[in-house]
Amino acid sequence: MATYQEFIQQNEDRDGVRFSWNLWPSSRLEATRLVVPVSCLFTPLKERPDLPPVQYEPVLCSRANCKAVLNPLCQVDFRAKIWACNFCFQRNPFPPSYAGISEVNQPAELMPQFSTIEYIVQRGPTPPLIFLYVVDTCLEEEDLQALKESLQMSLSLLPPNALVGLITFGRMVQVHELSCEGIAKSYVFRGTKDLSSKQIQEMLGLTKAAASGQQGVFVFITRFLQPVHRVDMNLTDLLGELQRDPWPVPQGKRPLRSTGVALSVAVGLLEGTFPNTGARVMLFIGGPPTQGPGMVVGDELKTPIRSWHDIQKDNARHLKKATKYYEAMANRSAVNGHCIDIYACALDQTGLLEMKCLSNLTGGHIVMGDSFNTSLFKQTFQRVFSKDYNGDFRMAFGGVLEVKTSREVKVCGTIGPLSFTGIHHNAQWKVCGINPSTTLALYFEVVNQHNAPVPQGGRGVIQFVTQYQHSNTQRRIRVTTIARNWADAQSQIQHIESSFDQEASAVLMARLGVFRAESEEGPDVLRWLDRQLIRLCQKFGQFNKDDPTSFKLSESLSLYPQFMFHLRRSPFLQVFNNSPDESSYYRHHFVRQDLTQSLIMIQPILYSYSFHGPPEPVLLDSSSILPDRILLMDTFFQLVIYHGETIAQWRKAGYQEMAEYENFKQLLLAPLDDAQEILQTRFPMPRYIDTEHGGSQARFLLSKVNPSQTHNNLYAWGQVLRGAPILTDDVSLQVFMDHLKKLAVSSSA
Amino acid sequence: QWLVDLYIERGWNDPPQFSYGLQTARGPHRNLLNKRAAPGILTTFLYIYIYIYIYIYLHHSAPSCLKQLVSDWSSGVGAPPPTPPSSNPLSPPPRARPPLGCVATPPPPLGPMRSQRPADSSQSESEPDVERVVSVLNRALAACRQTVKDQVCSDVAKRLRLLEDSWRSGRLSLPVRRRMDTLSLALQSGQWDSADEIHRSLMVDHVTEVSQWMVGVKRLIAETRKLNPELLEPLQKPADPDQVPAEPDQVPVDPDQVHAGPDQVPVGPDQVPVDPDQVHAGPDQVPVGPDQVPVDPDQVHAGPDQVPAGPDQVPVGPDQVQD
Repeated sequence: MATYQEFIQQNEDRDGVRFSWNLWPSSRLEATRLVVPVSCLFTPLKERPDLPPVQYEPVLCSRANCKAVLNPLCQVDFRAKIWACNFCFQRNPFPPSYAGISEVNQPAELMPQFSTIEYIVQRGPTPPLIFLYVVDTCLEEEDLQALKESLQMSLSLLPPNALVGLITFGRMVQVHELSCEGIAKSYVFRGTKDLSSKQIQEMLGLTKAAASGQQGVFVFITRFLQPVHRVDMNLTDLLGELQRDPWPVPQGKRPLRSTGVALSVAVGLLEGTFPNTGARVMLFIGGPPTQGPGMVVGDELKTPIRSWHDIQKDNARHLKKATKYYEAMANRSAVNGHCIDIYACALDQTGLLEMKCLSNLTGGHIVMGDSFNTSLFKQTFQRVFSKDYNGDFRMAFGGVLEVKTSREVKVCGTIGPLSFTGIHHNAQWKVCGINPSTTLALYFEVVNQHNAPVPQGGRGVIQFVTQYQHSNTQRRIRVTTIARNWADAQSQIQHIESSFDQEASAVLMARLGVFRAESEEGPDVLRWLDRQLIRLCQKFGQFNKDDPTSFKLSESLSLYPQFMFHLRRSPFLQVFNNSPDESSYYRHHFVRQDLTQSLIMIQPILYSYSFHGPPEPVLLDSSSILPDRILLMDTFFQLVIYHGETIAQWRKAGYQEMAEYENFKQLLLAPLDDAQEILQTRFPMPRYIDTEHGGSQARFLLSKVNPSQTHNNLYAWGQVLRGAPILTDDVSLQVFMDHLKKLAVSSSA
Repeated sequence: QWLVDLYIERGWNDPPQFSYGLQTARGPHRNLLNKRAAPGILTTFLYIYIYIYIYIYLHHSAPSCLKQLVSDWSSGVGAPPPTPPSSNPLSPPPRARPPLGCVATPPPPLGPMRSQRPADSSQSESEPDVERVVSVLNRALAACRQTVKDQVCSDVAKRLRLLEDSWRSGRLSLPVRRRMDTLSLALQSGQWDSADEIHRSLMVDHVTEVSQWMVGVKRLIAETRKLNPELLEPLQKPADPDQVPAEPDQVPVDPDQVHAGPDQVPVGPDQVPVDPDQVHAGPDQVPVGPDQVPVDPDQVHAGPDQVPAGPDQVPVGPDQVQD
């Protein structure tokens, strides 16, 4: 029997699934007592170079309200050519094309190694991908120029047959007709008037065309959305000639920016022309919406955009109305299977707090930068179009996830970039924009009551069915079927404990915390998180009552409290020093990344480079900050290279230039090389900080490490102190653990 | 040393800019930095115990030697002795020779960017020929005229003139000129995918320079690949009888590594070299033939026949089951 470690890794590699518990408690009450819910992180389109799709369609259970897919866990009667559904126990005959199956001649979907399998759906049309650019023109000249170039560049990265459209906006909204010939025409909308989808379609002349049936679709294609290969030259010129919004901006005013109406036109256009087809609205903004529906701040510069303080004091005038407006739009977009990206580049806030739902509900990207003229934006934007090992785009559209469960479990919720589309017998969600790293958190409930637990020896089964449009326009279905054993929580608690996946659990609990933080006060969320941690320690710790020093946790839980400590300090739960937009941005990425990246966000990774040996991971602790080390810290959003005091002095003295100190030069290069590896794969591109002891930017490192040495205990440590004291009143991990143990062992708690 | 576009103005804490080739190269990960140090000796808790003991000692005024011992023990578990204290901050770093065996890290393997540099410098002597490049593109356009709409052709022609103007007036940087040279060779020899890939690399790496006219070249590639082979003959014929025709399999894929041998460059009498110092078109120069061009395997962009996992590798389906 493999260890749980190996089992967990194998499951992630093969199925993209990580469960909090790999043995499931047999009743609802016992599940509640485990504190961390039975839940999983699931990466629906995990990249599997070793898994070629099969060229036929899945075999479904014939029961109308089940429709589970034939899988390796089904019982098969090869003689009678019948298979039993492992969810509803319906006995199904195999379709005629399976007449030849036998024990030695099995189709792929019955083989254990194909617990995850992908089918290509052969029927139905394969509509082209659609990219609709919605571009803010209230930008500085330099920014607009850089953005125009990035957009022109993207035309070379798009597949030639993709449809592309352009909407620009400032005070007015312009929908550009893309024709190959003649003069450029555009339809202009006022930026202050909220229009219904029907009105927009009428004004664009879409309804007339729709009446004429099939012909109509063609008309749309030729007017506003055109194949890239046909209009690339005209569109390049059109983009090249884009000017800044011509309306004068008086002193002390913000430019009037009609983001709300522009989006409404974009969503209405796609809704009227390509419902239920993969499409991507790409919104580029250089400031907040300042007029019309969806306005976030007025145009008076003397009124600053809302801060956390304003929000707490209920002093953010436009917040609720704008949020509601964008939420309605996001839901409409999700229903049609279209996703919305936001590329916001400005030094001040741009209204991501209000607009985040556009991306969060549709699976679109949010990218935040200072300017379009930065390599951070340019390269992040390029990576939207990155390709996989097959030369296909790492993006998929119109995902619909269905989760089927055996009758002892049911899904009670999910957190990720998706929108819920109703529950009947099986839960179903839409993930309009999806890529190989998109990871969803799913939370389950054990149905059986305490007096009628699930009988021993059985297994609970969950099937994930993801239908989506591949970037090569094929429709595909990926099916993952997994099973876990039931365990009696009374007699087998140690087995359950050893099946605990602390990394997955930390991320799953963190997602719950972030979800709560969206609607609850910060301190309440922290208290909730603390209470859960204390309960978990009470349940699984070994200790004598009221004796903190006796407290011990087993290996499978040993890192969990530390993850919670860093999570409490993370920007996902702490808003101090972050604007509402920044918090929205960080949370947006946290609830969609896979386990490895999420853990990096919770507890950044710190590597140390020295003359004493190869690079090694070191504690994220102030004691790791030593004069003769170079540190590389990865927080997901930032990559920090920190040169210790001595190293910095050596570097300043130029030893790396001297031939006899070649090894010093190599030492300086090593972290740069490793940083490069991270930079090359990360989306979005992180900020890159090269700093040293005493540098002002060393704060990025100092604010993340555990403050084990502070100005408070500095003197007590005397001369032998190693590491760097941090000027903070934050509690250190040690103090945190100390309190945790006290509370866990307390008989009054 | 990773910077590709030095003229890009970098923003606050902006990451370095990677070249298109480096971004699309899909090498295996060398060194995944995703490990965490195990806290303390055994578990977090032991580490905490130590801390508590120290805390108690410090607060019960234990003998100072003991204090030192304990804090020594707890703060540097298993760490090697520190370098001389900062009282002498500028003591030099350990020399290379004696401690070379225990150098912190093995010298970083040469990344693709670094290994390119020698190639770059050796190329600096050859200057791509504007005449040849433009003539290839124009002949490609001429071949298209029979099948492609007039308006598109004149649009492409306009952009080719723009390219020529920018080149002749010295507005194109050497990497752009050189890659255009390779692109034209690929176009001439019918390597559409390779030509298209070079066009993409130019758009990504040098968009400011090329965005105005590159779309014409892009369209030209797309149109010529649709043409009947017989229409392509005039394109594939070398313009100059002395010129060595580029064999399809000899055209290097990576634009930066191309060394257009001098014997390939028909120097027209009216050619204005952009940088006189860089032109060495003498016929007695040692010609570096195309087959000697170093092609870094890491940088070869996967052609269609290199794509793994074709449908033939599909596992057993129901159809195969029947027999």
